[in-house]
Amino acid sequence: VSVLGIGHGNKLLTDLHNCHLTKVYTVGGLFGKATDDFSDTGKLVEKTTFDHITREKLERILAVIQGTNHKALLMHSGIDMKTQEAYELAVRGLIRPMGRSPPIITAIRCLQLALPEFQLEIHCLHETQQYLRKVVHEIGLELKSSAVCTQVRRIRDGVFTLDDALLRTHWNLQNIQNAILDCQLKVKTELERTLGLQADRHLHEIDVEKAQAAES
Amino acid sequence: RSQPTPYRLETEEKISSAACGYGFTLLASDTTDITKVWGMGLNKDSQLGFQRSRRDRAKGYEYVLEPSPVPLPLEKPQQTRVLQVSCGRAHSLILTDREGVFTMGNNSYGQCGRNVVEDEMYSESYVIHQLKEFDSRVVQVVCGQDHSLFRTKKGTVYACGWGADGQTGLGHYDITSVPTKLQGDIAGVNIIQVSSYGDCCLAVSDEGDVFGWGNSEYLQLACVTETTQVNVPRHLPFKIGKIKEAACGGTGNVVLTEEGNVFVWGYGILGKGPNLIETAVPEMIPPSLFGRSDFNPDVRVAHVRCGLSHFAALTNRGELFVWGKNLRGCLGTGRMEDHYFPWRVTVPGEVVDVACGVDHMVSMVKSF
Repeated sequence: VSVLGIGHGNKLLTDLHNCHLTKVYTVGGLFGKATDDFSDTGKLVEKTTFDHITREKLERILAVIQGTNHKALLMHSGIDMKTQEAYELAVRGLIRPMGRSPPIITAIRCLQLALPEFQLEIHCLHETQQYLRKVVHEIGLELKSSAVCTQVRRIRDGVFTLDDALLRTHWNLQNIQNAILDCQLKVKTELERTLGLQADRHLHEIDVEKAQAAES
Repeated sequence: RSQPTPYRLETEEKISSAACGYGFTLLASDTTDITKVWGMGLNKDSQLGFQRSRRDRAKGYEYVLEPSPVPLPLEKPQQTRVLQVSCGRAHSLILTDREGVFTMGNNSYGQCGRNVVEDEMYSESYVIHQLKEFDSRVVQVVCGQDHSLFRTKKGTVYACGWGADGQTGLGHYDITSVPTKLQGDIAGVNIIQVSSYGDCCLAVSDEGDVFGWGNSEYLQLACVTETTQVNVPRHLPFKIGKIKEAACGGTGNVVLTEEGNVFVWGYGILGKGPNLIETAVPEMIPPSLFGRSDFNPDVRVAHVRCGLSHFAALTNRGELFVWGKNLRGCLGTGRMEDHYFPWRVTVPGEVVDVACGVDHMVSMVKSF
C-alpha cells in the first residue's frame, strides 16, 4: 500500500502524517542464518540451528516485544501520566507519540510458523525498513538462534488498507476517481478524530477539482 | 539510595516463596536441604531469627545486608519442607508441611502466637516459637501489620496479635496471644484464601464470596457498616461476580473475579486515574490496561497482590503490572513518580509470583 496525493490531496497528506497513525506490515523471516544487513540478500555472518524453536517460544518473545514497546509508546507520547486524561486515553488505547519518536511497535503477532520460515504481522509507528529487518534479526537472537528477513510488505498505511489499493492494471482515471471517492469519508473521519481540523475545507476543493476533471 | 528497576538477586536455591515485610524480606525454598529460608533487611526484632555476627559470636546483626540463612529449630530438617513465608511489621511466619508454623520477631501484642513477656528484649533473640495446635493442617499464613492470620485445610481462620482495629476478628479489641478461631460471618464457611498487610483483613470462600474485618477508616468495609473498626468477620455483598482472590493493602483493597477482572476499592491511588481517590464500592479496572485488546483477547489477570500503598497484578502471559504510590522506586518501573493506572514492569522473563512490601517488592521470575 502506497499512498499518493493529487492536487489538494497533498495538503491532506501532511495532515495525515501529523496524525501519526500506525502502518501494518507482513514481514517474512527465515531462521538459521544471520547476515550483516539482516536481510536474506546480505553477506552471511552466521549459521545456527533452529529445531528448538516452537510457536510457543516465538509467541512469548513477541509478547515481550509488545510489552516493552507499549511502555515506549506511553513514554514518548509526551502526555503527563499523572492526569485523568492520560488514564482515559490509556484505557481506550489512544496514547501514542504525536511528534518525532524512535520506531515503536504497537502490535506484533505470528501469522504462521513453518520452520525455518515464519511470517509476522507488525503494527508500527515511525518505522524504517531497516528497523523491521532488525526486529526479525533480534527475534532470532532471543530464540537462541538467528534469523534474516525475507520480505517486508506494507498492508496498511493509516486508514488505507489493501482493499483500497489499486492494482497496476487498474491505473486509469475512472478507477482513481472512484478510489478517491471511497476513501474520502475515511480520511475525513480520521482527520477530525485526531486533529479536529476543518478537513471539509480541503475535501471541498478536491470535489471541485474532480468535477473539473470529469468535465474535460 | 534506591533501586527503581528490577535487580536480579542470585540465590543458592530456587526460591518458591517470598514475602516482604516492613523493611525486610524473607525468601524460602521448598528444598529438603538444611537451609530453607533466607532473610535480609531489618532485624532489630529478630524477625529474621538470630543472625550471628562474624566479628563477635555472642552478638547478632541488627541489619542483614545480603540473603542470609534463617536457622529453624526443625525436628526433621532433611524431610520437612517450607511451603510459604509471610512478613509483617516486625514479625515473620514460616509455614512448613509437617511441623506446623514457626514464628519469630516482635511479640509485644502476641502476634507470634505466644504469651507476651513483659520487658522482653526482641533484638538479638533466639526465640522461635512453634505452633501446632489447629483443627487441621495450616495451609496459609498471613502477617498483618501487628497481627497474624492462619488458614487451615478445613477452611477455618485463626488469628492472634494486635486487635485495636478489630483485625483479629475475634469480637473484641484486645490483644490475643494464642491463635484463636474466628467466627462471625465466616463460621462454618470454607475459606480458601486470606489476605492482610495493614490493619484490614479479607477472606475469600470457596463459593466466591468475600468477607472482611479490621480497619475500615478508609471505606474498606463501608459497604456493610459505618463503624471504622469491625471486629467480627462480615460478608461483603458485592455484586461483581464470583471472587477468586483478594488482596488487602494499608488503605486500599483489590479482588480478582473468576472472569479475570480486577476490582479496587478503599482509599489512595486505586488505579483508575488521579480522580478516583476513594470508593466504598468496588470499581473495575478496564482490562485494556492489562494488555487485553482486539489483538490479544485472551489476556487475563491471574493474580493480584497488595503492598501497603501499591498494587500488583500478574497476567496469564507472565506480565507484571503495578500501580499506586512509588515509594523509593518500589514499583520497579524505572521512574520515581507514582502511577495512577496499571503500568507494565519490564522483567527479563515470565513473572510467576510477586510479593509486595511497604517500599520494596520481590518477584519470582522464570527466565525464557
